[in-house]
Amino acid sequence: MFRALKGTPSAALLTAVVMAAFAAGIGAQQPAPPVSGRPPDTAPSQVEARALLDKYCVGCHSDRAKTGGLSLQSIDVAAVAQHAETWEKVVRKLRVGLMPPIGMPRPDATTYDAFTAWVEQQIDRAAAAGGPDPGRPPIHRLNRTEYTNAVRDLLGLEIDARALLPPDDSGFGFDNNADVLAVSPALLDRYLVAAQSVSRLAVGDPTMRPIIGIYRLPYLTLRQEDRVGNDLPHGSRGGMAVRHYFPVDGEYVIKVRLQASSAQADIRGLDETNEVDVRLDGERLRLFRVEPVTNYVSNLIADEKQALDSDWNIRLPVKAGLRTVSVALDQKNWYVEGVGPQRSPVSSFGYSNAHRTNLGIGRIEMGIDEVTIEGPFDGRVPEASPTRERIFICRPASQADEKPCAQTILSALARRAFRRPVTAADLDLLMGFYEDGVARRGFEGGIQAAIEAMLVDPNFLFRVELDPPGLAAGTAYRLSDLELASRLSFFLWSSLPDEELLALAESGRLAQPAALDAQVRRMLTDPRADALLDNFFGQWLLVRNVGSVSPDPKAFPDFDENLREAFEEETRLFLHAQLREDRSARELMDANYTFLNERLARHYGVTGVYGSHFRRVTLPDARRAGLLGHGSVLTVTSYANRTSVVQRGKWILENLLGSPPPPPPPDVPPLENTKVEGGLRKRMEQHRQNPVCAACHAQLDPLGFALENFDGVGTWRTTDERAPIDASGVMPDGTKFTGPIDFREALQSRPEALLRTLTEKLLTYATGRGAEHFDMPEVRRIVREAAPFDYRWSSLILGVVKSAPFQMRRSAS
Amino acid sequence: MILTRQSLPRRTVLRGLGVSLALPLLDAMVPAMTAAPAPVKRLSTVYVGMGMNMDLWTPASEGPLDLSPILQPIAAFRDRTLVLSGFDSKEADAHDGGVHPRCQTAWLTGSKPFPTEGPGIRAGISMDQIAAAEFESETQLASMELALESFELAGACNFGYSCAYNNTLCWRNATTPIPMEVNPRVVFERMFGTADSTDQEARLAYVKKRRSILDAVSARAAALNARIGASDRQKVDQYLDAVRDVERRIQKAEEQIDQEIPVVDQPVGVPGRFEDHARLMFDLLALAYQTDLTRVGTFMVAKEQSNRAYPEIGVAEPHHPLSHHQNNPEKLAKQAKVNVFHMQLFAHFLEKLQATPDGDGSLLDHTVVLYGSGMSDSNLHLMWDVPTMVVGSSTFGIAGGRHVRHPKGTPLANLQLTLLDKMGVRLDRFGDSSGKLNLVSL
Repeated sequence: MFRALKGTPSAALLTAVVMAAFAAGIGAQQPAPPVSGRPPDTAPSQVEARALLDKYCVGCHSDRAKTGGLSLQSIDVAAVAQHAETWEKVVRKLRVGLMPPIGMPRPDATTYDAFTAWVEQQIDRAAAAGGPDPGRPPIHRLNRTEYTNAVRDLLGLEIDARALLPPDDSGFGFDNNADVLAVSPALLDRYLVAAQSVSRLAVGDPTMRPIIGIYRLPYLTLRQEDRVGNDLPHGSRGGMAVRHYFPVDGEYVIKVRLQASSAQADIRGLDETNEVDVRLDGERLRLFRVEPVTNYVSNLIADEKQALDSDWNIRLPVKAGLRTVSVALDQKNWYVEGVGPQRSPVSSFGYSNAHRTNLGIGRIEMGIDEVTIEGPFDGRVPEASPTRERIFICRPASQADEKPCAQTILSALARRAFRRPVTAADLDLLMGFYEDGVARRGFEGGIQAAIEAMLVDPNFLFRVELDPPGLAAGTAYRLSDLELASRLSFFLWSSLPDEELLALAESGRLAQPAALDAQVRRMLTDPRADALLDNFFGQWLLVRNVGSVSPDPKAFPDFDENLREAFEEETRLFLHAQLREDRSARELMDANYTFLNERLARHYGVTGVYGSHFRRVTLPDARRAGLLGHGSVLTVTSYANRTSVVQRGKWILENLLGSPPPPPPPDVPPLENTKVEGGLRKRMEQHRQNPVCAACHAQLDPLGFALENFDGVGTWRTTDERAPIDASGVMPDGTKFTGPIDFREALQSRPEALLRTLTEKLLTYATGRGAEHFDMPEVRRIVREAAPFDYRWSSLILGVVKSAPFQMRRSAS
Repeated sequence: MILTRQSLPRRTVLRGLGVSLALPLLDAMVPAMTAAPAPVKRLSTVYVGMGMNMDLWTPASEGPLDLSPILQPIAAFRDRTLVLSGFDSKEADAHDGGVHPRCQTAWLTGSKPFPTEGPGIRAGISMDQIAAAEFESETQLASMELALESFELAGACNFGYSCAYNNTLCWRNATTPIPMEVNPRVVFERMFGTADSTDQEARLAYVKKRRSILDAVSARAAALNARIGASDRQKVDQYLDAVRDVERRIQKAEEQIDQEIPVVDQPVGVPGRFEDHARLMFDLLALAYQTDLTRVGTFMVAKEQSNRAYPEIGVAEPHHPLSHHQNNPEKLAKQAKVNVFHMQLFAHFLEKLQATPDGDGSLLDHTVVLYGSGMSDSNLHLMWDVPTMVVGSSTFGIAGGRHVRHPKGTPLANLQLTLLDKMGVRLDRFGDSSGKLNLVSL
């Protein structure tokens, strides 16, 4: 059901290449020296610590002033760990150099760092001695992504959950936060409908009524001038490839419709010959040929100009399964060669309203508007389908066989769905539904009814962790192997444990360090680990939002859907490579390569990249190194019509440095829009003359200004409003920079903040609860222990998996 | 767009996008729906986020209603319209960075949302849900919650506020936000179910199957509850509460199984054009009233911090940045364009209600609608003197055609308390209310 395919390189091939790289991974590399930590012999004495606080902090953070709700006046430096919650807040600021504020006196760097390390050490030692507080994530409802993936892994069925379930709320930046995953009557209603649809699709119920999949391309913003992806024929342009699930063997109707001009509703591009090629799994079904209309006015009556595609309906028998339907136009040589009229920007008025090239507006070519797939009509029980092969692991030879076979099938499914051994109560219940279903539609109807019930069972929808009986309240305990298996699979795959993981957990051997280690490495090389890209990285870095930004066409006339997709693809492929090649997490910031196609390369000013497919490209210079050069990041942190140094600064502080700025005070005086000589920077500087604003903006804005050479959609620029860009500034810790290159170097020179932020986010995502102050010693330990492995992803992820918050839980208090 | 075919009198045809999406499956649909008996009272609340261009919203004078530019699209309904100035959404006020979720949440709850990214989410029961609880025994659906934007932005929605506060107006109780539905197809399925045939026997079988599933899962949830600690029970209790709600509804459907049902065409998805989407959703809400599937509907036309741009009316800038207009006349003019566009869509809803016969009058005669925003001046995020209007009739004892200014500082919740009263739900307090209003003589 209905997910459009993008032009992605073969995942299977990539995986194979990368597995080799991964296997070479950890052992092959020399451990790098740790970047954090310092010799303890320079630690301040308690008297020195108190004196530092009194001299540099207590001016504002006194019992009376309590700036930011914090007083350090009477906090006991002899018992740092007893006030860990407060001290963690202090450390967060100090690690980034955010306090004391710019302009106030500070101790020298050695003293500053020594003090910070000393505080951390006090807390960490106490935490190590006192035993862990692993926290207590609440019961976790599967979110929409997890439900979708669970259905895929349980039944072999790819569904578009957007059509079935509402989106989930998020907390702490992630939509897998157990606290906010609520249940309402409307949601239960959706689960009931989804269970019915999914079970019937999976079993291949021939009595189901026809369904429609509609796949539509944007009209105004997508250029259909290049080959879209590997699923479309060579020498084609535009159109789309869709993966559609055909639930049973039967007749289906594929309808193709062309774009019409918004002004006259005439089909576009009728002044040229065009061919529309429709294929199913690569086999051509039909080639529609449209002859050019030479005398446009009189040759066709309006109906034909507007509806010559009205009978482009192909009815054909299709066997059940997930199949690729592709529709594309033929490529014209003169498009590729750049001869003939150029296209005007897709967002221009002329372009949106014109219907043919010879009106002098520029090239107006034919485009595909929408493809619909309807069916089944006259559906039959499928002879074979991937879902049926997965479900029907036995076939009853006689009526007497039916019940035992149903038990076999349902036991196997329930074990996976409930992620634990099946109980008699489970099976009794499912067999009850089976019997009801048999009465209605025989053996297969029985299985379908039982699957339907399974998919709304609370044992499927909720991940429950049970406190061991007899445990004192508030005690840390180790999760059972089965609970650990679910934590692992939902962390790395956003899905159910697979057979290997489940079997290992059932045998009670999963928690053994070597076994756990091996499982994590195996799971990371599995394609299911791609779930981390959209769910973890997409939300952490906000790049998930690329799909919903809408840059102002007046400010950014070059932005179109092709560029949007390229932004998403670049970041996805880059992060994919980071994980699969097990790179150092530090490469996020300084990788000298990225993934480009021609469209994106042109946008970045990189030469020598041709064609619509993405490939790894070494960047010609360091300006665009790492994620901070990605169009996705630069666009989601901008306003629709201009850059925002505040949003970019905030993004860096919050998501990279882990020290979000406090919220703006209420009643902020507006940033006047009057033109000021020198552009935005001047205006922001005016803003900062207001002391209320200055306190935060003095630290926020310079971080954002460092990226001012990238406009609101990530194009490199050297002027803004005719004034030269000044991307220089000062880091919170006083380090000066002149532009994006040495800004990144300054970030990299203090990697603790980034690595800890990343680890904290991983832990938040992995446990489904917000990180608390008592998690911070674990975060620091994970980072410390990943240092010898140069912070490769496997070392950070394994660190999280082996941490107390992941492996343990605190019993109810 | 809704097309009623004259030749098929009982047939309502809902289309997502015009001809190309017409379903060939009409008669396969099984809406379990009933014709409304005697006229009943309905409540609608309609929210438009991020305030208004207040100069072009507020009528020039008090007394007889002098339609302001933003109100022009509903000129035909002037005599039913009561524009109310002076209300404050006080509970939206706090000194932190979550002003948008605060304004959105306080609007219909009169409560301050608790600032949290996750644990301890809390606001207050929303006004529509108080009405829903009152009428749930009468209808299959206690209420409907509709919106036009999906809520899938990554990242914390606001400083210290979970996205739960950004995504809905409706709270079933203080701790359970209700998701709002964007997809017309899903709304349709919620209204009419997904059985395969209009045949009564098939519908009964469908209802029975639902019931048996619900019985089973409720036993499973109860068994689960017995094994987990008290602190974990909230989730499972939510689930059980949801099961009971759906069960009640199924029982209702069973009681009404022998009622005649019109055949309705199913919308297939979210229309590509915003305007079509909004109209279709309003049509569905009107249809739900018409068939007495529900009596309470909440409709969010634009959520707080919406980044929707409206190029179709010449507004290319996303709504949220535009709403920070900095008193720039060009931006203010564009904000007003958006306000007017929303009002045009709302006018379509009113027209639809008026065109639908209900008892001795029309649906509009038996529906009271609250329309407004949780902010006035969006540039400064003001929650004072929020733009508010009520469309009602003598059925509710509401005299329209007027602009009334309330004393500065009157809680918006006073209006909601009064509207509940007009619906026959008598409460002494709601949210931060301080008393009731007299909508006839004030």
